[in-house]
This record gives sequence, structure tokens and C-alpha cells, in this order.
Amino acid sequence: MAKVQVLNVAVLDNPSPFGNPFQFEVTFECMEDLPEDLEWKIIYVGSAESEEYDQTLDSVLVGPVPAGRHMFVFQADAPNTGLIPESDAVGVTVVLITCTYRGQEFIRIGYYVNNEYMDTELRENPPLKPDYGQLQRNILASNPRVTRFHINWEGCAEKMEDSENVDPAPNAMLPPSCTPGKAPPLGLVPDNSMDCL
Amino acid sequence: MKLLKPSWVNHNGKPIFSVDIHPDGTKFATGGQGEDSGKVVIWNMAPVLREEDEKNENIPKLLCQMDNHLACVNCVRWSNNGLYLASGGDDKLVMVWKRAAFIGPSTVFGSSSKLANVEQWRCVMILRNHTGDVMDVAWSPHDVWLASCSVDNTIAIWNARKFPEIVMTLKGHTGLVKGLTWDPVGKYIASQADDHSLKVWRTMDWQLETNITKPFSECGGTTHVLRLSWSPDGQYLVSAHAMNNSGPTAQIIERDGWKTNMDFVGHRKAVTVVKFNPKIFKKKQKNGSTPKPSCPYCCCAVGSKDRSLSVWLTSLKRPLVVIHDLFDKSIMDITWTLNGLGLLVCSMDGTVAFLDFSQDELGDPLNEEEKNAIHQNIYGKSLAITMGSQLSSTIIENPEMLKYQQEQQRNQNPNGAQASGPENQTPKLTNVLNGESLEDIRKNLLKKQVETRTADGRRRITPLCICLNVSFSYPGTSHQRCSTLIPQISSDSSTANSLGLRPSHDPTSTSPNKTAEDNKDSGTAAVNSIGMKSNLLLTSASKIEPMKALDSRFTERSKATPGVTSVPLTIGITPLDRVKDSSSVKEPKGKDETSSDSEDKIVVKSMTKRKGEMEGAEVVEKRKKGRPRKDAKIMPISQPFPQVTFLLSTDVSTDGVTYLEVENEVSVVSGSRLSQLKWSREGREWDTLLPSRIIIATGSSDVVAVACEDRTLSVFTACGRRLIPSIMLPAPMSALHCSGHFVMALTASATLSVWDVQKQTALVKNESLNPILSGTDATVSQSFLTRQGVAVVSLSNGKTYCFNSSLETWNLIADKQDSLVQCADFRNCVSSQDALGSMGPLALTQGRNLSAGRLASRLSSMPHHLQQGMTLAFLEKQLASALILLSASEYRHWLLIYARFLVNEGYELRLRELCQDLLGPVHKSSSSSWETTVLGLRKRDLLTEVLPVIGQNLRFQRLFTEYQDQLELLRLK
Repeated sequence: MAKVQVLNVAVLDNPSPFGNPFQFEVTFECMEDLPEDLEWKIIYVGSAESEEYDQTLDSVLVGPVPAGRHMFVFQADAPNTGLIPESDAVGVTVVLITCTYRGQEFIRIGYYVNNEYMDTELRENPPLKPDYGQLQRNILASNPRVTRFHINWEGCAEKMEDSENVDPAPNAMLPPSCTPGKAPPLGLVPDNSMDCL
Repeated sequence: MKLLKPSWVNHNGKPIFSVDIHPDGTKFATGGQGEDSGKVVIWNMAPVLREEDEKNENIPKLLCQMDNHLACVNCVRWSNNGLYLASGGDDKLVMVWKRAAFIGPSTVFGSSSKLANVEQWRCVMILRNHTGDVMDVAWSPHDVWLASCSVDNTIAIWNARKFPEIVMTLKGHTGLVKGLTWDPVGKYIASQADDHSLKVWRTMDWQLETNITKPFSECGGTTHVLRLSWSPDGQYLVSAHAMNNSGPTAQIIERDGWKTNMDFVGHRKAVTVVKFNPKIFKKKQKNGSTPKPSCPYCCCAVGSKDRSLSVWLTSLKRPLVVIHDLFDKSIMDITWTLNGLGLLVCSMDGTVAFLDFSQDELGDPLNEEEKNAIHQNIYGKSLAITMGSQLSSTIIENPEMLKYQQEQQRNQNPNGAQASGPENQTPKLTNVLNGESLEDIRKNLLKKQVETRTADGRRRITPLCICLNVSFSYPGTSHQRCSTLIPQISSDSSTANSLGLRPSHDPTSTSPNKTAEDNKDSGTAAVNSIGMKSNLLLTSASKIEPMKALDSRFTERSKATPGVTSVPLTIGITPLDRVKDSSSVKEPKGKDETSSDSEDKIVVKSMTKRKGEMEGAEVVEKRKKGRPRKDAKIMPISQPFPQVTFLLSTDVSTDGVTYLEVENEVSVVSGSRLSQLKWSREGREWDTLLPSRIIIATGSSDVVAVACEDRTLSVFTACGRRLIPSIMLPAPMSALHCSGHFVMALTASATLSVWDVQKQTALVKNESLNPILSGTDATVSQSFLTRQGVAVVSLSNGKTYCFNSSLETWNLIADKQDSLVQCADFRNCVSSQDALGSMGPLALTQGRNLSAGRLASRLSSMPHHLQQGMTLAFLEKQLASALILLSASEYRHWLLIYARFLVNEGYELRLRELCQDLLGPVHKSSSSSWETTVLGLRKRDLLTEVLPVIGQNLRFQRLFTEYQDQLELLRLK
């Protein structure tokens, strides 16, 4: 059983202009004192088509973590627009928050993100080259998709090496590919699923 | 027997391997296979027990669901104190769960919120030791140890007070260990394994006591579990699957010599589970048959792979009931309700069945004391005593408890109280950090949180600890103190405040004075009440000389005057004609009255005094003051008038002197004589005329009632307005009382009526006194009406009754001859502050029962348990009497004494029942008829008062914590 349980993630500053930093207030509970830090990451999925456009916006260490209940705000800069395929800039995509302990990812929280022009004119006739200054980012905060993984909390070196370089499970959080404006097809991802490593 | 298969109890079709009912009977847990993990579910019991609750959508069925086990859960077991749930599964883990008290219903973060968990159970401990699937877990008596057995052939004994410490690993089985059971006396633990053996281990040195193999030699390892069970009297151990003449049986093993001569036969396939009923029964006594001592017996349920269930009584040679085809697959587990009448069975087919027996079928369950007596007889010690001997090593389990203990010590030596300053009492506030509320913190969290760079240049955030959790280290001994606030919930700092900071209730320094005052007060009350009882006066008169003259004259005169005696009695009972109401008893809070009469003119005076402030001497003085006036008006009592009685009860809240004056035959108008009634209080006065001679006049702060010779009763307001036309009485008035807006009339034909003149309803309608008078030659010595309108009648034989209008019965509330009163000894349960609360109608009728127990102390030869029982019975009677008299302050008074007594004498079950009643259901249930108040006192407030009493005894600290938590939880709701 996981030593760390995420109790809540509050999405701050939402909706906001595309260029604003992401802010997540994370509350978690820890069963016992953790000798090592937790590593949190925010990953922005640039394109639904391919993982190669995934951007790790930031990664922080969180510690020390004694047993108890804790909270912190995780802030990360907006994605580098240069790395986002132009065709995918507008529309629905995904932002992921992951947490790893001793190099093993044990939780992955995904949010659907809708990037839309504020201006109706632009919305109806989007420019070929996205105008990021006019885009608004809206994170669907009410519907987080949480995937939990079982890890070895006691830690083991070789395993750590392995999992460090393993890509996240591809089916853990599928970014939906759909046209802008349509509701994302929810329910593709099993809620609360548990996979054993 | 009733049988029910609640279809809503399921794991979505997946097998259910284990079921266990919570000791308080309100919920049960199931364990088994989940979607892709093990699953533990806690269910509400109410919808199983009652159909209307099942249909009511507001009553939750599922309370909590826990998917934390990685693989199938083979066993779930509640600890005996009900605080913890242990589960063991194929993931080789044992998890210990505890309810997170401060979180209300919430969804799991990230789940699509379809099913909110009503209760929050958190895994507080994971016990890792086994290298294979855990098959069974079992809590020892008193939750000292937790045992788990596994397919790794071992049994682990965990220290339940210091998880995850392992006391011992029992090795010796050479096959998968599939079942465990503790000896109820705590001396042994037995295990059954696939290695064709059943082993009994000693808890003293954890060595093998015996190894039983013969009945199992033919067994194959075909069952998933082998849940064996020990009988509640400890005499028999019954195994799961055994073979006898190639037929499957459940082997009975006698404790005495571990003999294996008997077995339960009849199942067609292997027995998977045996479960003894926790109760010991004795034969139900049929009406009419001569009571003969019958041997107590046990009851046992046996479940098998053949999908059938049998229930046996050890007193019968054949099973009580056999149910075939209850399930589609093998039975996996059985659990009884604590009362022994209900039974839940679960099966591999993913369903459960509930069986409901009646006492006619099973017999009368022995209560805990009787059960302890049996243990005492057999083993020389009862479980209760075992419990006590462990107390010396008991550790205080939570800060709240510690606080009460310390507070108590401080109270015991007041000097110490000053030394320990307030800083001792300032616990850490959990959701207020440096004076900021959680809300404020959240606003500035980003700015304030500490961010550093690691050596390799990475950002590192130090998370803000909003609640240090100490509870995870020792689930057995800890208590989750932090107010686990989820950020979404707006935090309220006051809640945490109230948890931690609670000023001690009474500064000890003031108590001595107070005590003295209280004693004085109670003394006064006693003098007052006794002084007013004309009959009792004979015995206690010496103490109150001034009253003696007054009262004895009253009695004499009522004998001398023909009065009511001449009235023919319709019922033919004589006693009532001797009704002596010449002196009256009033509300206990302190007032007195004097009366006098003359040929034509009678003055009734009443002096009211504020309660609790008058002293004995003062009373006497005022009476003396009153006498000269009255004496001056007194005339020779030679007139053949009927007995005239005056009563005036005034409300205690008013101060001042009230006069009620009656002048009969004030004038003659056209042949008829008129009587005048004059009333005056604090300068205000009124008068009215009545056409007939007044025989009794009485009043309260609200009304004045007057009974006349012509059998009419008139009622006026305090301002003299007539409230109702004259009431025609069936017989002449014998006694008349007013209290508030209630009027009580006792007629010469021995009937009682009570009216609420404000609502104009009859509370008691012409109720005959026959039931209480017949068979005795007692007379009514005293009668009065309480402020709540309950009529109380005392007889000359020392018995006092009140009439309960909802039950329509006479209830005996006091009996001077009652041996219980004389032998009950609860003096050490009476605290100095209690004296005030003891004043009320009950105290009035019973006299000074603080003297109770004096006789008892002299009868030192009486065995302790007898006296204990008598005291218990007496206290419970007092409680019930106060309840029926609607006397709230006395109810509270006796409740606290009762609670103290239960705590001192260790009646845990009664204490629990009391707390449960005061707490009420935590979840809403349509069927619960629980009232939130009793006599206008909020029950949960009473519980708040009772809890510190419970907290004084460390032995009940779990009980204390349990209810303290629930109260706290309810308050947060």
C-alpha cells in the first residue's frame, strides 16, 4: 500500500491566459516519515498524437516529509510554445502531474486542458499560426484522472535504475484526440485503476 | 428463524471470502476479491436488520470501501473493542484499519464520485512478515495480540499495542495454515493447517501444547480455509474439516485432556468454517413449568463446501437447523452478532445470507456477569478479573485521556493545581499555525513555502505540514488527534480549539465552600420536606420542634372534625376518609405555608423564599413570625364544619408573601350564604364570591383553585379571572393541589384527576386509587403535584406512587421499607456538587436517601456482589423514577451517580449501553426512535458530562475515546 496518499489537488489561477504559470496546490498524507524526497513533475502534453511533444514543465523535490498531512503549491512556467505543433496549439490537450519516490512513479494525475481564443472572431477564424497571446487556458479542474501505481516503498537500487528510464505507461493517461469544441471523450481511462509493476 | 439474502451486499459478483460483524452490531465488514485488487467493504447493518431501512434511500448501505490490498482479501476481523479492523490477503499483508474520526463523508480524490464513503477508514498499519498469502487473522481476548496465519506455514503473533512488533512467530506446521482461534480465556491459541494437524499453542511461552492429527489423517487439502472456533465457555474447540469413517465432520476437541471423542456429522463435503455463538445460553423457562436448574449450553454454526449451513446447540444431539443450497458455492465465513441471535454467512459465490433467530429457538443468553461466573467456576478467574490484572500495565492511549487523568490528579491535590500553569494545558493547535488559520495559509502558501536549491541545483520545496500525524506508529495505542481538514473544507479554527483547549470545569478552590453550602441547602430541604409530612412527623418530629405543634394540631383536628368521614364512600374503601392533607408538601425548592382557621374566616399565608438561600433557622423564624397573627384569629374548633384545608403553592421564582384568605358565610343574600375568597400578593389583591362554603383553597403562581362544599371546583387565574365554569366533582374534595397551571384533585371517593387548566385538558381522568390502596390498610398520608403536572400520592405504609398518564399506571417511586434503599451503598459515588441536584419531587418522597447505605455498611457480612447488585438495582430504579416524575435535575443527578457507580464497579456493558443511548445513532435511520432530549436535557450534553466520569477509570479509556470521538464528530457535523 502506498505510503503517500494524495488527498486533493486544487488548480489555482484557472482559467488564465496561456502564458501564465501553472499552479497546483497539492495536499497529501504520508503514513510514515520518508527518508527520501518526493519528486513532483508537471508534464504538458503538446500533441495527442505523439509523446515526443511532451514537455516536462518543471520538476521539484518535496521534502523532508514526516508522517502527517502536508501541502505545497507547485508552480511551473507555461509550456515552450516553440515545442508545440502548431496544429495542436488550440483545442483540448492534457497536463499531467506525477509523483515519484525513489525514482518510481506511484501516482499520475491528469487534467484535460482546453486552449481557446478569448475573442469570438479569432475563435471562428483561427489564424494559421497560433497567437499564443490571445489564447486562454482552461483546466478542467473538476475532473482529475488519477492513476495509482504500486511501487516498492522500501526502495531498491536496481529497480530504481530501471524505472528511471522507463517511459510512463502509455495507456495510463491517453490524451484525447478530438476536434476543438467537442467534449473530450471521458471514460476512456479507468478511474483509480491499480496496476502492479 | 428468518432468512434473508441481502443482494446489495456483494463485491460485484466477485467472491466474498470473509465477513465479520462489528462488536457494536451497527456495521459489518466483508473481504474478498475486487476488480483488480483485494477489497474490504464496510456495510451498514441497519438495512440488513430492517426492511424499511433497506428501502430508505437516505440510509447508506455501503459505509466505506477500501481497495488498498493488492490481492484478494481472505479474512477481515474487528478488534474486540471495535476500534480496529484487521484484514489479511493474498498480497501477504495484514492491514490494520482505524476510522478517521474527523473526516466526514467524502469521495476519494480522483474517483468519479459515484459512491461517497460515508465513513472514512484509514489503514494505520501494514504488517509485513509473511512470505505467503495470509489466510486468517484473529484478535486475542482484550485485543492484546493479533494473530495471523499464512500459507508460508507460520503463524505470526503481533503485539497489538505496539504494532508492528512481532511477539512470536509460531513455527511447526508443515502445511498451509488456514485457520486460527483464540481460547476465550486467553491461555491458548489453536491453528489448523493442511498438514493434517490441529495445533494448540500456549500463550504463556508460545510453545506447542498439543498436536492433534488423528481426525485429520484422511483429509486432503481441498478447502480454501479451515476456520476453527473455540466455544465461549472455553471448554470445547471445534475444528473445521476433519474425517470420521471417510465422512466429513467437524471435530470436537475437549479442553480437558484434548480428547477427540465427539464430532458434528452430516455435511456431505468438507467443513470450511465453524463459528461459535459468543453467548452462552440456558433453557428458556416455559410459563408454568417448575423452574429447574438447567445446564448452560453453547451454540455453534458450521458451514461447508457442500453449500449448506448447520446450526447446533450443544444440548441437542441433532442440529437445530440445517439449510441446504443456501449458496451456489462453498461457504467461506460465518459471523454472529454480539447478542447471539443474528448470523451472517458469506460464500465464494459472492453473496451473503443473514439468519435471524429468536430467543425461543436458541434459549436465554446469559449476561456477562453470569458468563464471567462460569469462567470463574471453571478457571478460577473471570475474564473481567483478567482484564483488571492487566490494568497495571495499561498505558494511556490518547492525549484527551491523559488530560482527564491529570486533571483528576490536580483535583486531588489542589496545591498541585497552582503549580501547573496554563501552559501545561495548551496543546498544539492543529490547524492554526502561528496564529494563522488554514485559509490564510492557503492564500499565501506559494509565497511562504520554503524553497531551496539542492546541491545539484534542483528546486526543493519543504511542504507545509498541516497536521503531524502521530497515529500511524501504534494503531493499538494511539489516537488520531489531528483534525484532518481537507483544504476544500473551509477550516474553522474554533473546532480545533475546542479539541485542545478546554478549561477545567470547576476551580477546585471554590468547591469546599460550595460543598458546605450545598450540604446546608440539602439539609434545609430535608427539614422542610419532612416537617411538612404529617405522618412522618411522628418519627422525625423531635428535630423540628416548631413544626411539631403546628402539625400535630392539624392532625388532631382532622380527627376531631367529622368532615369528610361522614361522606359515604362509593367504592367502599375506607382508607381515604382518613386522608390527612392538613399539611401539604410543596415544591422542594423551598417555601412553606401556614394555615389557620376560624369559625368563619380562614387565612392562608404563604411565604415564598428563593431556593437555595434559606437556611433552617430562617425557616423556623419566619414560621414563628407567622404564627401570632394566625393564633390571634384562631377560634375554638367546635363548629361542625367539614374539614377545611388550605394549600398554597407559589412559584419559587417569585419573591414575597402571598395571602389567600377565605371567609365563609360572609353574607346571606336571599337565603343563600356566600363565601368570599381574598387573594393578595405584594400589594396586589383581588377577591371573588362563591355561592357555597369553601372547603379547600389552593394556588400556584399561575392559578388559584377552590373546592366548595357543594362538590364544585372553581379555578381562577392569578389575577382573579375565572378560567372555567365550576367543575362538578363526583365526590367531595379531599385534597387539592396546584402547581403552575396544573390542578390536581383527590376526591373522597379515592379518585384522582389532574387537569391542565391552561390547555384545558385532562391529564388524569378520575383515576381510581384502588390499585395502590387495595390489599393494604394504608391511608393516603400525603399528596402533591410536581411542577410538570405529575401527581404523587404517598401512603401511610411508606410507599409513594405517581400516576403516569401516558402509561395510565400507578408507578411505585419510593418505598421506605424497600430493602434495596437500605442496602444500596453508593456513597462513594456521590460528589459534593451533587447535593443540589438531588432536590426534587423524588427526594421529597423518599426523604433523605443520602443516608442510604448506612445499613449496608453495618451489614458487612453481606457479600460484595450482592450489595453491588442491590446498589445497581436501586440506582436504576432511581433513574427510572426521576424519569417518570419528569424531574430533570434529579434525573441528571442520579444519572451521574449511576455512571460513577458503573465506572467504579466495572459494568462495561451497561456503561456502553448508557453511552449509546445518550449518543444516539450517528447515521440517520428512519426506524430509530431515538429522542435527542430527555426531560428537556440534551442527551449528548449529558454524555459530555458522563464522559469525564468514564475517563476517570483507565480501564474504560477505549470507551471514553470512542464516545469522545463520536461526540466530536457529531459536533463537527
